[in-house]
Amino acid sequence: MRRRFDTATLAVALPFLAFVGLFLFVPTIGLAIKALTPGGSFGFTSLQRALEGSYRTAFVNSIALAVTSAVIGGVIGLLLALSLRSMQRPRWLRSTTDSWSAVASQLGGIPLAFAFIAAIGTQGIITKMLGLVGVDITESGFSLSEFWGLVVVYLYFQIPLMFLVMMPAVGGLRQTWAEAASIMGASPSRYWRSVGLPLLLPSFLGGLLLLFVNSFAAYATAYVLNPGAQIVPLLVRFLLQGNVITGEQDLAYAIILWTITLLLASLLFIAVLQRRTARWSST
Amino acid sequence: MKVLRAVFLVLLGLFFFIPLLAMARFAFQSVPVVLLTPEKLLEGWSVSGLIEVFGSPEFQKAAFISLQLMLLAIAITLVLLLPVAALVEIRAPQLRTAMAAITLLPWVVPPIALVVGVAATFRNTVPWFLASPYSLVPFYVLWALPFSYRAIDAGLRSIGARTLYEAARVMGASTFTIIVRVIVPNMIGAIIAASVLTAALVLGEFAFAALLLKETLPTFMAEFQRSEPRAGMALALAVMLLTALIIWIGVRALRKRGMDLQAAGV
Repeated sequence: MRRRFDTATLAVALPFLAFVGLFLFVPTIGLAIKALTPGGSFGFTSLQRALEGSYRTAFVNSIALAVTSAVIGGVIGLLLALSLRSMQRPRWLRSTTDSWSAVASQLGGIPLAFAFIAAIGTQGIITKMLGLVGVDITESGFSLSEFWGLVVVYLYFQIPLMFLVMMPAVGGLRQTWAEAASIMGASPSRYWRSVGLPLLLPSFLGGLLLLFVNSFAAYATAYVLNPGAQIVPLLVRFLLQGNVITGEQDLAYAIILWTITLLLASLLFIAVLQRRTARWSST
Repeated sequence: MKVLRAVFLVLLGLFFFIPLLAMARFAFQSVPVVLLTPEKLLEGWSVSGLIEVFGSPEFQKAAFISLQLMLLAIAITLVLLLPVAALVEIRAPQLRTAMAAITLLPWVVPPIALVVGVAATFRNTVPWFLASPYSLVPFYVLWALPFSYRAIDAGLRSIGARTLYEAARVMGASTFTIIVRVIVPNMIGAIIAASVLTAALVLGEFAFAALLLKETLPTFMAEFQRSEPRAGMALALAVMLLTALIIWIGVRALRKRGMDLQAAGV
């Protein structure tokens, strides 16, 4: 019988595992312990408080922001993938979109927030140009520091990310399936309802969760646009910088423990969906 | 249908292009938006603000730190990850699922979360560790893992690493020789991709560095823009273009080898 692990594999795997253990697991477990032992003794008071009052509001806002930007970004990203699928003609379009998506899905952070301030901030050039034709976007209640403002900015990296996620799945839809369906008398809409969309669904849902995790954790963009926004990442910053009475660190630990639990649950869900996708596409 | 699609694509293109254009105008044209009229569109363009930033010692210091962090993060990523990924693929393929799972975990503990854990544990036990800006390196390596591992894994599979390994083995090469002289030279594309993604992450990471009070390029940029809005905007645009350029190089390197950048974990 073959040995399961040989020494060489073990010799290179150990430093790697030690690295991940030291810099990821140790801080995370340390944090979990602190969250579960508020004031030195075991208890759930911190975890409970982390879901009350203004902290609860932050969680609700963050989840709403993540869900909204994931769904809108997801749908637009999917539509982009679908509309480029059958396009052959401007040959540069497909490859430019591919490369640009790889770039834009990694942008975000400080520069992205600046770009949107320059465009549709109160002193932005687009704000001004729309004002000239009689559309006042600040008057209409739109502001980059509010909910929908953040959603619009987040879409800048959410749409390309979804495009990258969906491209392989959309590319996997064979032309022959659509032809087979039409020979059997199915209308294009019937084909999409019964064949196309069910096949895309697992990747689409997986992509949505990825986008959710992505925007839930986003910090820098929101920090520039509205440092006082009631969302989880900025709340953690507030608690951590010690602007509040002592002992509130416990609360930060608890909030982060909830965040990690939420993200971990999302990731496990992605993994399950991924397995389903793999089963579908390999048959 | 065709018209609808064209409109959709054009609108999307505008959405992605206009903010960059607006940024460039704000950065390089010294005419406030309030005073901007069609006649003044061509007035007051200059790049002197950006040149001035490049000359400032604070910028140079922050940029130099970020450059070092970038190179160190890439080096550690490759040294730590490449051998594990290669050996797992070659000799223990049953561990691939475990590797994929482990390398996805940094997604669960984003910078803003890990900084709390790090403050809770390391600050009390090893305070000297967090004193140096280089303490950021291991965490940057960690957050790049979902990207870097997938790039390297895709590379290993596309070159048929196991077959190469067995062929070299039959001819009597040692495992070490095989990795250094057969596997690595064959997957330069994947190595570039992993490095590029790590570099992009280091150039953009703000939360962790800001909360640990480290002066990197992103934290300098946020601070600087407050005092010098115009030059700050120019700097942000320059960093954005640099990031885009770095990733573009990676994409090109991959495409030449018939591969594509993988979205993290999917």
